[in-house]
Amino acid sequence: MAARRYDLPFAEDGSGRFLPWMIALMVYLAALATVAALTTRAVAQRWNAGLEGTATVEVAPTGDAAATDAAVTQALAVLRNTPGVVAAQPVPKEEIDRLLEPWLGPDAAREGLPVPRLIDVRFTKGARVDVGALTRTLVTAVPTARFDSHSVWLERLQILGDSVQLAALLIVALIAAAAGATVVFATRAGLAVHREFIELMHLIGSRDSYIARQFQNHAMSLALRGGVLGVIAGALTIGALTVISRPIQSALLPDLAIGAAAIAVLALLPLLAAGIAMLTARITVLRALKQMT
Amino acid sequence: MVRFQGVAMRYANGPEVLKDVTFHLEAGSYHFLTGPSGAGKSSLLRLMYLAHRASRGTVSVFGHDIANTPRRLLPGLRRRIGVVFQDFRLLDHLSARDNVALTLRIAGIREDTIRAHVAELLAWVGLGDKLDATPPTLSDGEKQRVAIARAVIGRPSLLLADEPTGSIDEHQGMRILRLFEELNRIGTTVVVATHDQRLIARFHHRVLRLADGQFTVERQSMGI
Ligand SMILES: Nc1ncnc2c1ncn2[C@@H]1O[C@H](COP(=O)(O)OP(=O)(O)OP(=O)(O)O)[C@@H](O)[C@H]1O
Ligand SMILES: [Mg+2]
Repeated sequence: MAARRYDLPFAEDGSGRFLPWMIALMVYLAALATVAALTTRAVAQRWNAGLEGTATVEVAPTGDAAATDAAVTQALAVLRNTPGVVAAQPVPKEEIDRLLEPWLGPDAAREGLPVPRLIDVRFTKGARVDVGALTRTLVTAVPTARFDSHSVWLERLQILGDSVQLAALLIVALIAAAAGATVVFATRAGLAVHREFIELMHLIGSRDSYIARQFQNHAMSLALRGGVLGVIAGALTIGALTVISRPIQSALLPDLAIGAAAIAVLALLPLLAAGIAMLTARITVLRALKQMT
Repeated sequence: MVRFQGVAMRYANGPEVLKDVTFHLEAGSYHFLTGPSGAGKSSLLRLMYLAHRASRGTVSVFGHDIANTPRRLLPGLRRRIGVVFQDFRLLDHLSARDNVALTLRIAGIREDTIRAHVAELLAWVGLGDKLDATPPTLSDGEKQRVAIARAVIGRPSLLLADEPTGSIDEHQGMRILRLFEELNRIGTTVVVATHDQRLIARFHHRVLRLADGQFTVERQSMGI
């Protein structure tokens, strides 16, 4: 059977030409916003998983190394006697040197600069340690010790992650609204162009829903085409960013390479665009037809 | 079937092109509608196929007072009316076959049924070899026959034909009018607008005569 998709001559009106490109652009932007949100989320989660249940105790250097060593030992004893603490390990001196090297230069340690000592503390999973009490006990025993539970830092990270996600959500919602508006205008233009045909369809007894179906299917197919194009462009952009960011990724950023969830979300975007286009076109046409006899 | 009571009609804010028209078409009747050009024949048909509202009076079709009929019921009424428009009003981008099929398609008839019926009817009006031709490639006479096929394919209860033989030769014209007779015999109410007096004279039907938006006489035409 011959492929006869529409009774209305959509191929001849202009709406088919610009709508897919508009939708492509919008889906492209939505794809980038979505991946940005997912990446931020992954960063926050990774840091959270890495730092949750840990703390760092910093012991300030005093005049002589032996006194500092004694303070570290004292602090270790307090920590290891605290219920809920699984492990308390001094960070090896070489590690500290390595951490400070970028700031103080390679010879800092050898030149005997007073450098603080660090102790990594790990708590039992799920243990509710009274950080305030622990801090007080520690500082009483070792006045030069400072307790850092990372919680402030993690909290800020969480807020940042949430904000980025909220912003992304807002962007996607705005894009969806813009896409809807674009479809409304394209559909209205189509209605004006095909007015005579619509009138004839009415006269031979066509219901509004039949005419609306033609417009909504057309809008859906255009949006789907544009959406696929946009999401492919988005995937290419993200791929390129991944390659470019690989050298600096290791430490701070999680792999930008999109995970299964992100791929699923990206695949949904063109469908979402098609759905919005279809619904918008339908409502627009039905409303307009109600004004006609 | 169709009842007009003191009906007037105007286009937008123009003058009344129909003034105080009253008549009644019984179910199964056959009428010619005639009168000079500009008398209002097409306008009267427009009221009957619900393309226009009367500015005065009441128009009732299939027992429905059109002015008070909810919009959602109109498609159902219109599907029972077959119209041959004076200017054909075919869709240029659709083949002859699809133009005719449209009437059935919007009614949700099955595609294989549609195909068979449409091909048969188009063959009957002499367009068996033009099924896939689009209107711009057809002669006026051929377009007119596509328009006629579209009007009758759905077996309408009311057939309104506006100058249905205006563009076709006498032989084809007679064929078409005999098709209308046939439809009338099985119950279709027919109104044929024409100013071809010879045609009117050939058939023994009632004649509605319009002049300047009003009926002059209504009489039984005198057949030869
Ligand atoms: N769309 C329109 N807008 C305004 N005036 C119109 C319109 N259509 C028809 N008229 C006017 O209405 C009057 C009746 O026209 P109508 O087409 O009904 O005549 P008719 O009897 O069908 O003529 P013909 O035999 O030439 O087809 C004419 O004066 C015409 O100018
Ligand atoms: Mg006319």
